Amino acid sequence: MPAVENYHCPNALAPPASPGAARAMEAMRCGQFRDAIKLFKQLVKEEGPHWRDGLAQAYAARARELAAKGMYEEAQILLDNTAAQDGTVRDPLLYVHCLVKRSRHQKASEHALKYVGTGKLAVAEAARLGEVAAALSLAAPCRLDAAVDPHSERGKWLEQAAAARQALAAWLEGKPHEDIDPLLSRISMRSDFKAVRLILKALITAPLDADRARQLMDPVSPQSPFAALRFAVEAALAAPASDLSRSSSAASGPERSFLLEVNGLSQSGCQSLAQLVNAESSGPGSLFAYLIKQIEKERADDIRKACLSLLPRVPDRLSRFEKSFGPLSAFDKSRVLALAAETRRDWDAAERHWRAATASLEATGDAQPNLALGVIYRHLAHLAGAQDGIDEELDDAAVDYLERSHRSDPDHLPTILRLIAHYRAKNRLGDWSRLIEDTLARFPAEAAVLLAAVERAACAGDLNWAIELAHKLLLLDPINPTVRKRMIELRILLAREKMRANRPDLAEQEIAEALKLELSEAPSSPLRIAAAVIAMGNAGSSAAAARLREAVHLAGGGVCIWVQASLEHLLMGGIGDGSMLRRELKAAQKAPPTKEAILSIASAVDGDATREHGAAVASLIRGLQRWLLKGATLAWSADEVRPVVAMLRQAEAYQVLAAYAKQGLARNRSEGMWHFYRLIAETKGNACVLSEADAEELGDIADYAAHNGRLHDARLIWSFLDSADDRESAKDTDVDWHLDDLISNVISGSLMSISPGEVASLIARHGEAKAVKFVAGRLQKSPAGAILPAEKLRELAHEIVEEVMAEIARPPRARENRPWQQR
Amino acid sequence: MAAALDPFTTLGVDENAGDEDIKRRYLALVRAFPPDRDPERFQVYRAAFEALCDERKRLEAKLLNNSDAALARLRLRLLAEAKPFSARASKATLCALLVEGVARASAQGESLVEP
Repeated sequence: MPAVENYHCPNALAPPASPGAARAMEAMRCGQFRDAIKLFKQLVKEEGPHWRDGLAQAYAARARELAAKGMYEEAQILLDNTAAQDGTVRDPLLYVHCLVKRSRHQKASEHALKYVGTGKLAVAEAARLGEVAAALSLAAPCRLDAAVDPHSERGKWLEQAAAARQALAAWLEGKPHEDIDPLLSRISMRSDFKAVRLILKALITAPLDADRARQLMDPVSPQSPFAALRFAVEAALAAPASDLSRSSSAASGPERSFLLEVNGLSQSGCQSLAQLVNAESSGPGSLFAYLIKQIEKERADDIRKACLSLLPRVPDRLSRFEKSFGPLSAFDKSRVLALAAETRRDWDAAERHWRAATASLEATGDAQPNLALGVIYRHLAHLAGAQDGIDEELDDAAVDYLERSHRSDPDHLPTILRLIAHYRAKNRLGDWSRLIEDTLARFPAEAAVLLAAVERAACAGDLNWAIELAHKLLLLDPINPTVRKRMIELRILLAREKMRANRPDLAEQEIAEALKLELSEAPSSPLRIAAAVIAMGNAGSSAAAARLREAVHLAGGGVCIWVQASLEHLLMGGIGDGSMLRRELKAAQKAPPTKEAILSIASAVDGDATREHGAAVASLIRGLQRWLLKGATLAWSADEVRPVVAMLRQAEAYQVLAAYAKQGLARNRSEGMWHFYRLIAETKGNACVLSEADAEELGDIADYAAHNGRLHDARLIWSFLDSADDRESAKDTDVDWHLDDLISNVISGSLMSISPGEVASLIARHGEAKAVKFVAGRLQKSPAGAILPAEKLRELAHEIVEEVMAEIARPPRARENRPWQQR
Repeated sequence: MAAALDPFTTLGVDENAGDEDIKRRYLALVRAFPPDRDPERFQVYRAAFEALCDERKRLEAKLLNNSDAALARLRLRLLAEAKPFSARASKATLCALLVEGVARASAQGESLVEP
């Protein structure tokens, strides 16, 4: 609806003279302009001509309304009703707009000229209309009034118009810039024709200096009537010949014509290009049809390739394509259908067609098809959910495709690194080692491979080999901080071994080597602590103690760092006097605990190395019980506290655990994990003493957690409940390693490596049958694969999938007011 | 420069071009349009070169994408005679552009939506 804010009563300050006038003004305010016109007409008739202005406003408002709907003729007729004796109308810009839209360019030009130099319009409106009149006077020249005083404003404007016309004509005739420049200098930069001068100057500058040409047109505003010409020149400046048709596809008709004409294309060239551009902008089907028609005119090979490239977007034209160019190969046909399926996001069909494409390629054994196979399998892995980062967890389908890609193209390093990371994450140690060894032989100087090999050697406990590999890595990349840090860690590990073997001299050597790798701007506190602990073990001097204090201070001090120092002392074999450490640890406990400090301690005692010293570590933690107890009042969430609970269970600090559970339940009674932690504390970690009701409740909590995707929590509870069965069975039978037990352990170990979450994801993504296939494949690769026949593995896989499906479909049980019992 | 062009088309090389051809063409383009003078254009060439710099990537570009290279060659042949600003536009085109500008400008003045 057009705005009516501009409407005002001729006597706005005075009250309406009559009810009729009030109704007319109300109609204007409400946007009911037809009614307003009728009412004002009546007012003019009944109350006098002073209502003519109101009537004109109503006509103009209604005309705007109609023009907005595209009814230009009707709008123009309404505005004609507002015409004064000299032919000027109420809203001249709208009037000109209507005429232009009706292609009455000459009349529009003549009408716009009526207002030039008359002073009839407000300044802003006059400026806008002046420029419109200028553009129209060039596009549709009208006869100029010869009787005008050349010194009047109107006379000057007409003189400028003549100059602009001459300059434009000179450019169109292809005259050189020496001839055009004097004509341009006649156009004033303060006249309505300023834009013409700038654009023509840009056009004659463009062949010599495109940047300068662009700059010249900067003052031409995008709202100017000359803006379309400016944009066309800019488009011609921006588009080199190779981009011409493409960049013009988004342009308007005149702009496209301009682009083609100034680039010197012939009539037929313009026509062919226009046809191609039109076909392109009409969609792939039209373009395909256009190209097929060009077989005779253009190079058939390129036409075929262009059509083949379009086929995935118009797969229904496959038979038309084969009719014109002969049958497609099985590979190309499958590839086209696969890409077409991807276009419509039908992933199952895409996978099926890509598999068909690989099947047709696998028939040949050349290197090129193998590379192509690698590309397609990687693409399939990507479709199966494997994104490009190495850290993302892969599902079985993605891994299967990546393994196929690796077999087809064993030198593709990114695939290898993804598989290495996956095998490591999934604890597939055999595959991990084999792939690293194989890759190291292929890429002996590749940093990423060397880094993976360092990790593998360290994991296998072959520290000397790990250090040798890290050394090679440092030769390749001497300032890599990650490698230096890893090398320092390896040297510390080796120093621990030496200390435990009672060879402090060799341990000191290792630490001395590690200190050489330390960057002066980033001293390593674990290394300083290790060095000080060794010094204490060797000499036990006050200087060594001071060195340790300094190292702990460097790492930030506090209980957690003194715990780390104590752990280092333990890992170094506990040689030397540990009383200083105990004293310092006790003194540090005067500071109140924080979540960060407690979590740091939990993380420090969670390593593989510390696990070997379980009893000593437990004793160390128990020494912190009072301090840890204070930490129970901190606002822990059940997720946050998980590593702390693991640490307290490890140390058998059940009293502290009970306090944490009690505080947690006080904060959030509906959180099942706090109940679990309470029950661990109450039973002192012995699931055998759980009551039947408690065991059932824990089962429900675990199910609820699994159902909500908190598989880690569910596994923790299941593992606790299972520990009761293990203890019971241990009581019933002697430890007797019969073959059946061994097989059973192998199978259950293999089954444990397949999480319900993974299986659920497989079912959701690929359906039941495929999930069974993947699980069977996974079992085949596990230790169970070596001892069970394929048929049995399939049965097992089927059972696993059915179990997970039953779990997914399990109906909610409404019981007490606890979330895991309402599921 | 138009975005998301086929890398073969962007560099102006054949689909069967090898490592050397592609590298030579890329370096020639970088010399012609150095990054300090036209960083945007350089980025486009760089991305195209990265997409084609080894055999596997070229295979990926050919197998997994709809290549515009053949279509671009057709277009180039049609444009073979084109020379930027070598000719003048026709009077009709110029007038059409001026009228288009007037239609847009007068629509803005009247708050009318100009398609």
